[in-house]
Amino acid sequence: MNVLPTSLGRRALFQRAGFGLGGVALTQLLRQSGADSPVASNGQQAGSVGHQPHFSAKIKNVIYLHMVGAPSHLDLFDLKPELQKRSGEDCPKELFEAGKFAFVRDLPTLLGTPDNAKHRFTRSGDSGLPISNLLPNLQGVADELTLIKSLHTNEFNHGPAQMFMLSGFGQFGRPSVGSWVNYGLGSENENLPGFVVLITGNVLGAGSPAWGSGFLPSVYQGVEFRSQGDPVLFLSNPKGIEPSSRKRIIDTVNAMNQAQLADVGDPEIATRISQYELAYRMQTSVPELMDISSESKAVHESYGTQPGKNSFANNCLLARRLVERGVRFVQLFDQGWDSHNSVFSNVANKAKQVDQPVAALIRDLRQRGLLDSTLVVWSSEFGRTPFAQGTKKVDKAGRDHHKDAFTVWVAGGGTKGGMSFGETDDLGYTIAENPVHVHDFNATLLHLMGINHERLTFRYQGRQYRLTDVEGNVVQQILS
Amino acid sequence: MPYPITPPLIRGTFLVTLCFFGTLWGRITMAQVDVVSERRSVDFSEQIQPLLRRHCQRCHGEKHDEGGLRLNQRDDVIGEADSGSPVVVPGHAGKSLLISRVIDADAGELMPLDGEPLSQQEVDLLRRWIDEGATWPETKSKGKHWAYEVIKRPEVPAHVTTGTVIDYFIDQRLETHGLVANPRMQPASVARRASLALIGLPPTPSDVEQFVTNSNSASGQAYLSLVDRLLASPRYGERWAVPWLDLARYADSNGFQADQIRDNWAYRDWVIRAFNQDMPFDEFVTDQLAGDLRPNATSDQRIATGFHRMTTCNVEAGVHPEANRVNQVVDRVNTTATVFLGTTLECAQCHDHKYDPFSQKDYYRFFAYFNNTPLEVKQTAGVTWDFYGPKMDLPLDHNQKQKIDDRNAELKRLSVKREQLARESESQFEDWLTRLSDQGSPLWEPVTLVDFQTSGNENVSLQPDGSVLLTGKVPPTVDHTFVLQPPAKPITAIRVELLTDDAIPGSGPGRGEAARPNVILSEVTCEVMSGEEKNKVAFSAAVADYSQANWDVARAIDGDRKTGWAIGGQFGKPHWAVFLLAEPLLLDPESQSLKVSLGQYFGSGRVAGKPRVSASTQSADLLRLPEVLRRMFKGKKLSAQQRKKLRTEFEKIDKRLVELDKSVAQLEKELKKLVPETTLVMQEMESPRETFVMLRGDYESPGDAVEAMTPGALPGGSTDASTGDRMELARWLTSAENPLLARVTVNRWWAEIFGLGLVPTLEDFGTQSDAPSHPELLDWLASELIESGWSMKHIHQLMVTSDAFQRSAELSKVMVVNDPVNRYLARGPRFRLPAEMIRDNALAISGLLSEKMYGPPIMPYQPDKIWRSVGRNQPKWVAAKDENRFRRGAYVVWKRAAPYPSFINFDAPDRGTCTVSRGRSNTPLQALTLLNDPAYVEMALALADRVISESPSTDDRERVRYAVKLAVSRDAKEHEVGILVGLLSGERAELKNQPQMVKARTTITVPTLKLRSSDMQELAAWFAVANAILNLDETMNQ
Repeated sequence: MNVLPTSLGRRALFQRAGFGLGGVALTQLLRQSGADSPVASNGQQAGSVGHQPHFSAKIKNVIYLHMVGAPSHLDLFDLKPELQKRSGEDCPKELFEAGKFAFVRDLPTLLGTPDNAKHRFTRSGDSGLPISNLLPNLQGVADELTLIKSLHTNEFNHGPAQMFMLSGFGQFGRPSVGSWVNYGLGSENENLPGFVVLITGNVLGAGSPAWGSGFLPSVYQGVEFRSQGDPVLFLSNPKGIEPSSRKRIIDTVNAMNQAQLADVGDPEIATRISQYELAYRMQTSVPELMDISSESKAVHESYGTQPGKNSFANNCLLARRLVERGVRFVQLFDQGWDSHNSVFSNVANKAKQVDQPVAALIRDLRQRGLLDSTLVVWSSEFGRTPFAQGTKKVDKAGRDHHKDAFTVWVAGGGTKGGMSFGETDDLGYTIAENPVHVHDFNATLLHLMGINHERLTFRYQGRQYRLTDVEGNVVQQILS
Repeated sequence: MPYPITPPLIRGTFLVTLCFFGTLWGRITMAQVDVVSERRSVDFSEQIQPLLRRHCQRCHGEKHDEGGLRLNQRDDVIGEADSGSPVVVPGHAGKSLLISRVIDADAGELMPLDGEPLSQQEVDLLRRWIDEGATWPETKSKGKHWAYEVIKRPEVPAHVTTGTVIDYFIDQRLETHGLVANPRMQPASVARRASLALIGLPPTPSDVEQFVTNSNSASGQAYLSLVDRLLASPRYGERWAVPWLDLARYADSNGFQADQIRDNWAYRDWVIRAFNQDMPFDEFVTDQLAGDLRPNATSDQRIATGFHRMTTCNVEAGVHPEANRVNQVVDRVNTTATVFLGTTLECAQCHDHKYDPFSQKDYYRFFAYFNNTPLEVKQTAGVTWDFYGPKMDLPLDHNQKQKIDDRNAELKRLSVKREQLARESESQFEDWLTRLSDQGSPLWEPVTLVDFQTSGNENVSLQPDGSVLLTGKVPPTVDHTFVLQPPAKPITAIRVELLTDDAIPGSGPGRGEAARPNVILSEVTCEVMSGEEKNKVAFSAAVADYSQANWDVARAIDGDRKTGWAIGGQFGKPHWAVFLLAEPLLLDPESQSLKVSLGQYFGSGRVAGKPRVSASTQSADLLRLPEVLRRMFKGKKLSAQQRKKLRTEFEKIDKRLVELDKSVAQLEKELKKLVPETTLVMQEMESPRETFVMLRGDYESPGDAVEAMTPGALPGGSTDASTGDRMELARWLTSAENPLLARVTVNRWWAEIFGLGLVPTLEDFGTQSDAPSHPELLDWLASELIESGWSMKHIHQLMVTSDAFQRSAELSKVMVVNDPVNRYLARGPRFRLPAEMIRDNALAISGLLSEKMYGPPIMPYQPDKIWRSVGRNQPKWVAAKDENRFRRGAYVVWKRAAPYPSFINFDAPDRGTCTVSRGRSNTPLQALTLLNDPAYVEMALALADRVISESPSTDDRERVRYAVKLAVSRDAKEHEVGILVGLLSGERAELKNQPQMVKARTTITVPTLKLRSSDMQELAAWFAVANAILNLDETMNQ
């Protein structure tokens, strides 16, 4: 495992010139440096965790898998026998009327997970964690998983709920969780951004603001690495410009900028020079990173990857490669989980697509000694209702959006593994025990990274903003 | 296993940063910094008070006294804490609790509890202040917050004219901060800085030359007239619209799922026009907030209210309209307070404001002004919601009106002509009827099948009805050839039938699979065989009883083997296709035969099971007619109705009428498009809504009812009941009593022009804000704005004609220490251009910039797959290939979920919310954008072409000088010329004998981009030089 230097050494200085600090205009830094200037000001402080970490970190990287559209957690992680028993009965009126739903307006009927071999749950691993047979590979790593079955959120439409889950606020304007982490801790690789986004399928409804930096300086926003075209926008040279010419042009730009620096003395010019050097290095390091063909056959078989394809499996493998290279926060978006009809066949199809690569990722990280320092997160913007949408017919019925209780899980450093936390009621409708709000979940995530969520703040519009607003409690019970 | 973590690397560590730059930057090293860092004594009001306010007073201040301590009162600070320990012991930082509590976690929980710890520099400052005696002037402890005080125009000595007031106040402070002003830049650079600041574009080389000549002869007059010219340029409004559109959160899309495009652009154009006309700023504000409420509101006044229709809107299937509406009103309230008051009113949405004098009730009183507009989503079907709400038709401009009149006149003319033609063709129609009625012979002649060949190796069985049944092996593709003995009369058409049979899987007509027995006829051809001689027969048209979508029967005779006629969707029954010959064909049945080939190349056995071919000698016109009409001729006499129907058919084959009808249809189509465009506006509902305090900010938890009122704590704010409409709010905001509008506005302009606000917290003038660096100057500018009749151009003129603006930007060692961020302006402002201007500037330098103004948003080049949102009706990006590709950034379409990527790389916001100031990052993504984005590659090619064809000399060094001048206005220095010529030589060598590379670099992607140079080899080498020049730090800096 990497042991990081504890002082601002040479690496740290380089980092300033890369995607870390150097990316922020020096004037912005100086404005809050206190030397002779007013202390900080409009959205311009950089960094905030302080000279010492708040406390020792359990992990240094996050791989955040967001299942866009919201999987049916009831059919994957939170089996409800009572719901199965009462499937087809009317939903209890008092429960239905107390909730807010996107589509269903009239009293629906309950919908239990089908009791057949395909959809049954198996107690898995030494821990005996019940996991759906739709996820056979994930069952194999059950002892690494910590299920949180009592997550709840404030929003019940995709766009706002994605923003809420990912930025702690249901409208536009706030920084995403990845950009908060990037802002607090920076990147460990001078050649790569601290926050990378990988997408399969279309972009989620909230759009790029879901990985944006809100009011934080824009250097902290997620950078999308694309599987088609340039992996990073504008990475490749124009046609007819060979690397030798590119180098000659950049050398020229930098020589001219050096001359300008000598005349004007503006330190921003020095930063500009280093950014051009970094851009040149990225032209080789990023394609190398994105080219998974160098991985062994065994690796490809375990993930189910095919070089050159845009798939969730490829993105899982890329996530490992990014973490290996010190990228702090890697976020995967996988589209297609929204199941307003035919929920059972849809969840089975989607589960089949992600089960193998997710389990392979966890195993691979474990094998490489990276799982202790990495947190893998499985999340979605909300869960799905225990009642049917559209029709009573089991094969055609869907499930509506459910914000009041759903399951996410984490695996990796600092977490217990092989356990589940929180319980829903017998119908999976409300939380029966140990509720965990989105703010609590985010507070816990930051805690694992050594950050006190109440102190990772950014001053904007005269107020200290944080990811968790004015709420959030670390879920101590799941920490190892 | 836990492991040590790096201290977060992102803290403002001034010395470390310098140390880093010391490694690259020979002129200032750590040692030199130490020599010059001579300290002055700490100033309480400038250095300590803001620090206490920022870090401490939110819990220990006017409104809160956690632990019984208020750090805004001298007596508390110099006194004892609850614990009995002295908070501050003047002269002894080491004994002061204030220091130990912010540095020593053992002294109790490290302060501040709810934020980041103080930086080392801040702690040092506090220590020094205490050690120096902890001076706390009495006057500083009392009084109203400065920003809420009425604006008092500061006195200036008699010799200070309006044009020199800024410098009077700026220069006053320089000495206090140990600074000496830099000299004025050379004229060419002054011209460039002013031009970029005012119009966001560089001056042309000839403008620069003229200005430099005039500067040398005349006094300051040359610069004043340059500035006047810039202020009068239409480009001025385009440049200043950009920051305003950030405030207005202007975008062309809804935001959220699918993020559909909507029409708002008339508002953007209104802003540009208002700035160009120097519309009085108070009127500008009033129209945007309440233009619709003016008596007899004009179109422009209504368009202006689009300002508050820019809110995001969720039209996702599960949206709750009222929740969406409340979110929009909240956004209107917060944006209004931020933009026009510099006030963080939103902090009072859930509870009373923690620091500033606003209660939660104040918030909802303000809310009430905006609470009378209708819902903005509408259920259009089942679970489908659409964007909705008040819109207005834009007035048609002269050009559009003219177009409509022209088309109507043309339609009238055509209608007269048509009547005339119809009359003229009456006798031809009668002939036609007679001809078609003469049906002596059957429609389809029996033809004898002489031979049948197949390339598919099937079992062939000729049937008595002339068809061929194919069984056995199913070939994936096949050619079926019928050789026929022709009738003795002229042949007009060939018919191909695809028949069904129980011997075919799924009974056919195709053989591929029982579930989908499709047949795809890829190509049907016909040849005349005369002995050894073969002659191809041309078809003129094809008709069929049925064609599958995208597989029209005409495609079977288009000469393309990849297309064809298919019958998917109608299996299990026979189908026919008729191919009309271009000319009637008379053959000799004895010596000639007809060969018809059915090419079936789709693959997967989409081949016929029982084809039949026959011929007709009937008129093609008749064959073309639908069956029902054809039957009419069999009757004795045509009824009037039948005649009418046949007349319609006849007109379809009369070439003159067909052409005319085509023109009519085209004109009608054009007229349909010439309807007025629309834009979103504010509109009050007939009966107002009641407004309640929302407990905890939740719209479903109403508290007390409230009336619309402006905040009582602000000067001139309402004290009693009101009319409660937006006009009242606008009147108050722009009234003489409200000091905030003018202060906040001039401060934002100052930041745009000088890089940093006089109050650096542009968005917050409340008690948590930074104090102004030059309070008198701020008030003087605010009062000058009001006294000038709210003239924005007047204030901009004063700013850019100041000496401070024209100074050299050179950073001396002393400045690095005493004023690193250039608050005091001993040097001129130098900072990176905003995103849109990076592009505008490069377009102008390369000569590509289109000056076309206004209208619907444009789509220049952007990489594929940027727009790929989830959801219905998602818009598509179609890159412009005309001049719209090269118009200014202010016109580029703004889609919130996926804004223009190169703008995002240069810190443009997503415009989901009001943005007061953008960051200025410096990243490798920016380098990659300017080096490789095909948009910038096009500009580099155009610049290379421009330099080669426009430079007055063909000498390399002269051409380089010309290129540098285009980019940065000044003359290149000798060693700079040397560097760039070096690149040119290197590239010439690289490109020698590399025609592919030359071609790749000089290939043009859009027709609008026309190259003037002829030597492609040279152009390719200069391309590299141009690419470098567009990437210079100086090029992207103002």
